[in-house]
Amino acid sequence: MTIPHDYRALDLARRTFLGQGGISVGALALAGLLPGQGQAAPGKPADSLAPRLPHFAPRAKRVIHLFMTGAPSQLDLFDNKPMLTAMEGKPLPPSVIAGQRYAFIRPDAAVLGPRFKFKRHGQSGAEISEVMPHTAAVADELCIIRSMRTEQFNHAPAQLFLQTGFSQPGRPSIGSWAIYGLGSESKNLPAFVVLSTGAGISGGSALWSSGFMPSSFAGTRLRNGADPILHVGNPPGVDATLQRDTIDIAARLNRARQDREHDPEIGARVSAYEMAFRLQTSAPELMDFSQESAATLSLYGADPKTPSFARACLMSRRMLERGVRYVTIYNEGWDAHSDVVGNLKGNCAKTDQACAALIRDLKARGMLEDTLVIWGGEFGRTPMVETNPSLGRSQGRDHHPQAFTIWMAGGGVKPGTTYGSTDDLGFHVAENPVGVHDLQATLLHLLGFDHERLTYHHAGRDFRLTDVHGKVVKGLLA
Amino acid sequence: MTALFFLCAGLLSGQTPDFAGEVRPILAKNCFKCHGPDESTRKAKLRLDTRAGALGLARSGEHAVVPGKPDASALIERLSADGSRRMPPPATKLELDDNQKEILRRWIASGAEYKPHWAFQPIGRPTPPRVNDTAWPRTPVDSFILARLEARGIRPSPVADPRTLARRLSYDLIGLPPEPAMVAAFAANPTGQAYEALVDKLLADPRYGERWARPWLDLARYADTNGYEKDRTRSIWPWRDWVVGSLNADMPYDRFTLLQLAGDQLPGAGQEGVIATGFHRNTMINEEGGIDPLEFRFHAMTDRVATTGTTWLGLTLGCAQCHSHKYDPLTHTGYYSLMAFLDNAEEYEAPVPTTAQADKTRALQAKIGALEQGLAGKFPGDLDKAMAAWAEKTRPQADDWRVAMPRAATSNEPKLRLQADGVILAEGDTTKVDIFDLEYGGESAGVRGFRLEALPDPSLPVGGPGMAWYEGPKGEFCMEDLKIWWDGQPVKLVKATQSHANGGYGADKAIDAEGQTGWTPGHQGNRSVALFFPEKPLPAAKKWTVKMSFGRHYPATLGKLRWSVIRQEREPAARDMPHAAEQALVAWPGISPAQKQALRDHFCQVAPELEAARKEIAALRAQLPMPGSTLAMRERQPDNPRATRLRHRGEYLSPKEVVKPAIPDFLPPLPAGATADRLAFARWLVSVANPLTARVAVNRQWAALLGQGIIRTVDDFGLQGELPSHPDLLDWLASRFMDDGWSLKKLHRLITLSAVYRQSSNPRDELAISDPENRLCSRGPRHRLDAEMIRDGALQAAGMLSARMGGPGVYPPQPAAITTEGTYGALAWNASTGEDRYRRSLYTFAKRTAPFAQALAFDAPSGEACVARRDRSNSPLQALLLLNDPAFLEAARGLADKSLAQPGDDASRVSFALTRVLSRPPCPDELADLDGFVKRQRERFATNPAQARALLGLDAKDTTDTMLLARRAAFTALGRLLFNLDESLVKR
Repeated sequence: MTIPHDYRALDLARRTFLGQGGISVGALALAGLLPGQGQAAPGKPADSLAPRLPHFAPRAKRVIHLFMTGAPSQLDLFDNKPMLTAMEGKPLPPSVIAGQRYAFIRPDAAVLGPRFKFKRHGQSGAEISEVMPHTAAVADELCIIRSMRTEQFNHAPAQLFLQTGFSQPGRPSIGSWAIYGLGSESKNLPAFVVLSTGAGISGGSALWSSGFMPSSFAGTRLRNGADPILHVGNPPGVDATLQRDTIDIAARLNRARQDREHDPEIGARVSAYEMAFRLQTSAPELMDFSQESAATLSLYGADPKTPSFARACLMSRRMLERGVRYVTIYNEGWDAHSDVVGNLKGNCAKTDQACAALIRDLKARGMLEDTLVIWGGEFGRTPMVETNPSLGRSQGRDHHPQAFTIWMAGGGVKPGTTYGSTDDLGFHVAENPVGVHDLQATLLHLLGFDHERLTYHHAGRDFRLTDVHGKVVKGLLA
Repeated sequence: MTALFFLCAGLLSGQTPDFAGEVRPILAKNCFKCHGPDESTRKAKLRLDTRAGALGLARSGEHAVVPGKPDASALIERLSADGSRRMPPPATKLELDDNQKEILRRWIASGAEYKPHWAFQPIGRPTPPRVNDTAWPRTPVDSFILARLEARGIRPSPVADPRTLARRLSYDLIGLPPEPAMVAAFAANPTGQAYEALVDKLLADPRYGERWARPWLDLARYADTNGYEKDRTRSIWPWRDWVVGSLNADMPYDRFTLLQLAGDQLPGAGQEGVIATGFHRNTMINEEGGIDPLEFRFHAMTDRVATTGTTWLGLTLGCAQCHSHKYDPLTHTGYYSLMAFLDNAEEYEAPVPTTAQADKTRALQAKIGALEQGLAGKFPGDLDKAMAAWAEKTRPQADDWRVAMPRAATSNEPKLRLQADGVILAEGDTTKVDIFDLEYGGESAGVRGFRLEALPDPSLPVGGPGMAWYEGPKGEFCMEDLKIWWDGQPVKLVKATQSHANGGYGADKAIDAEGQTGWTPGHQGNRSVALFFPEKPLPAAKKWTVKMSFGRHYPATLGKLRWSVIRQEREPAARDMPHAAEQALVAWPGISPAQKQALRDHFCQVAPELEAARKEIAALRAQLPMPGSTLAMRERQPDNPRATRLRHRGEYLSPKEVVKPAIPDFLPPLPAGATADRLAFARWLVSVANPLTARVAVNRQWAALLGQGIIRTVDDFGLQGELPSHPDLLDWLASRFMDDGWSLKKLHRLITLSAVYRQSSNPRDELAISDPENRLCSRGPRHRLDAEMIRDGALQAAGMLSARMGGPGVYPPQPAAITTEGTYGALAWNASTGEDRYRRSLYTFAKRTAPFAQALAFDAPSGEACVARRDRSNSPLQALLLLNDPAFLEAARGLADKSLAQPGDDASRVSFALTRVLSRPPCPDELADLDGFVKRQRERFATNPAQARALLGLDAKDTTDTMLLARRAAFTALGRLLFNLDESLVKR
């Protein structure tokens, strides 16, 4: 027994608070974050969404992760390797490829040089390829990390690793950790929202699941259909009057029972229905793009009526303005096992402008300084070509966990920076490696958390997003 | 053993602190990480988890603990020291408060006694304590509870009112609300006898098995798909149905355990034993292209170890995957020794014919066998004469293949067995690139061709000939590369032909320069041949060797094969004719009796005169039932065990030494002389000597019924777990459970008959201080219902719930986008029609990467990890779902129709509906409120019939009378409201 004394006091406080008709159970979860108190009491999960303070002053209050799942080719976008052009068609030296595992190719596959021209951009002189002209134009806002590496070389495990710190499903997503730590700022919208604008996502819903935390910390899917949030629309035949009447009568009956039975949990249920009702009115307002100017729409290249990556970016900005803390946009489709040129042209045409627009728009609204934007995939792609007649593949690149590039912008990261590098072949990280757990530690740091102290007690153990690994990458911080 | 309440008492009075309750938790949390059981991270040669270690000489020359002398103990001094002497070091961000320091000081002052961890000690047989209020206890259970309450001066709560009790009991035992008539009868006559009869009735109800299967499925991480990216459908529902049946039959928990862990090895267990092994086949399977299958098998194994730990031992074994446990005495090696018990099994899909299918198969096979026997006899005229004429004619094309007899066959992974007649059979694991090295003896000069036969075998997936089991077609293989050496000299193969090729995957692809193409016949379940020709006839050789390389971006290894050589000048053809028949043709007419039989058998298969007779047989074959299958496991062959290796830091890519199966030494050993295998491990788990299995099982049942466990950490009985609130009760229950033949029904009966269970759950003001968390059981259980109970309860109240049991997963309505939008392994969720739409939630198809929305919203697990305790969250998304989900609207309509069919006025129908949902009649205020609601809505709908039709799901052209429509719609709205009342979601 490590915590019952504190816990009981808190529990009483919580019950009193609830008994007075409050909406949340904040004290408990907060207790979970105090030094030396890193756990929720068994049987009483800290499921509060009340806003709370992190360990120290945060640099970022919101996060938007543009997760380019499928894994874009760093070698054709950000990590220029002229040596590969020189070696085109030849195998890599055995000393480089020995002992490496691949998904599809054999390690002796021939080198494939960069498929696009690179140029330096902005005052920072960041190297970005011609296929991303819009991103290149905001180069001075970006903190480009060319020395990312991961431990997983298949999509689902690598996506899970990046989102949950573990390569198999079942752990809380990084968004869940953020909400567990920070609570929700929005009374009308979920705190952690997930959008999908590309093909099907390899890692599935486990990527935004709350794992062993209560489901209230899970990401909420914002969908492309009529109901942007599942069940947010009334069923046929139910209008607002009936809905209101239903909720009111239910609340009255619930409260009457609470008076008889003195059970504070009933009050929490009544509050949840109130929030549900608010969500029903705020969701259509969120989707109402008529409030956006024509200039904004054209900045993003978004058609308000058609779901797209651009519209998702604009919607995300609208959500961040309304208090949503953590948004992940999945844009699956970068898995260029064949025709890396066509793949990148297509994907960049869909995403490049909107990524840059999001940065410009956030900046214009004064939100970029405390909003962290992250762009990148779950791993990189090989310097070697993937050609497989039996699968009908040519001019592609296979999965490459040893090195890849992501960029961040805004909320506390150094703008106009290129961090880390790879060797001349773009195969291994040459300096300043950033592992996935390091990235997670840094992200939590920017949100105001010591990743070693943000723990959740489950099954006899204090779990961390970063397990026993990860260090904050100081070189990325502004 | 220590009781929880010592904790506060000890603190206040200044007496000797309790080691287990107060001292060890402080040491464990703050010290064990560096000074605990894990030898690899131990610092300063000091361990504080044993008394000898704490008293011994540390590297610094100090003694951490000097019994009776806190001031001479370095441990005490260092807690308050500065700088580098400070413990725990500031970098750990751990700090003891004054209270904790004082506890350690007093513990050392009193002699620094250690006590072994209670949960690893044998289960005691405590006597129920004496109580003052002898009238209250109804069972021995109650004496344990009451004694504690009396010691604290707390009165138990009064008995819950009969309707509440009936509802609680019904949800607890069958997972559904009670029939209103049953509630009314019990309320009219709430005697002890009537209550007992109610308990017995519910225990005998077949829905009992469905309710109690659910928590077991949570532990087993059951789902109907494989998980990960592709997340394809799997068939393992026969295991789920077996669980339901076993629980209904009250199968003893020890046998239930044996069958699931080692049913394949248990003598006499038969098909049941095979199906039951599905427990550990519920692990996920990654079918993403390009994965390393053995890596994900390893992940499945770590899941099996962790799940076994949680389910039976109540231990967090998973911690020791990467390093020795930081808190519990489980070493890194001990972890892999436990894994070794479970590791030596093959995973396969077992056919599970129903009895009817098995009978039909037997009957058909008998017929087919007889017809085949009689085939020759049906030949019109003289068979031998006709065959001779055919043989004469066919003989010139027969090719004289000679079977090559292998001397040795090895591979990188699968075991290759040499069988009779030159056949090689592969078994065991496969990898993405499997390489077979075969060695053959001498050949005389003149070999002009090689024949590879790819042969079917029942041991292979779908009969082979390949071993592919995921990603590609089952039973497929792909030979990417073939090399032959003739006395060490490479043979230049210049041509290849084959009997069957799947698209462009001809045999020539195995001898081309491209490594990624190969020969795939695509002729699963049948024999195929490929012929390979050298540039010129080969000289004599003393030995020759073959290297065959198999694989695609998934394992596609050949499972059964045979090589032959040929010397004839005429180029042979790749044909389907069996080898024996062809050899008989070559020898014709001077053939042996055996050759004659082979030839005759073949002739009967090709003679045009017998076509009708063969068609008759084929027609019967087509009628053979296609039995379903279930994922199962079977022990590997004794001469081909799987080596379990310790993995450094738990990483698959860091294999170290082989470890043998062994029980960790902090637990009782296997019986002397036992073979250390899976069955022995299962038997050990349920042996009386094991202190954990029974305790863990009864604690879980207690938690399910009383809302929280006697140990609240139902998944952790280790040193980091909580202490039991009533340790004697736990032991009494555990020993009683074993005495009662491990009967779960008797245990459930015992607990539900107790006075503690029957208490009212209403919070009492005075308990807010004396028992705020109900750890002392001063009131009855009260918590939100499980996801399944909420949905099933609504359908039951509406009279729509199907009673059909078992079978494949069903698809109750939910928004289609859930399993398609943004889902890689998309699944068209075609909502079931008819009865399947309203089956119990246990049968809802469980897709891991896109779970059923209602289940997910209410904290049901997604089958990705073992779950012993669900969260019970309360969220606005739950409210949205209950308010707006079309499925709940359907239930509301059903309830409306049922209510409107009742005689009486609207108020009485409102009362009827509420009673069906809440198992009690409304109180007057409620009735007035709800009746007013119905009237209001009826009036609104009367002025807007289109809206009423919409609510009722009726066509716009529906001609029902407006007033009728409005009433139905108003009552539907009422049903919807009732399903959203807090009380309908709560067990109380």
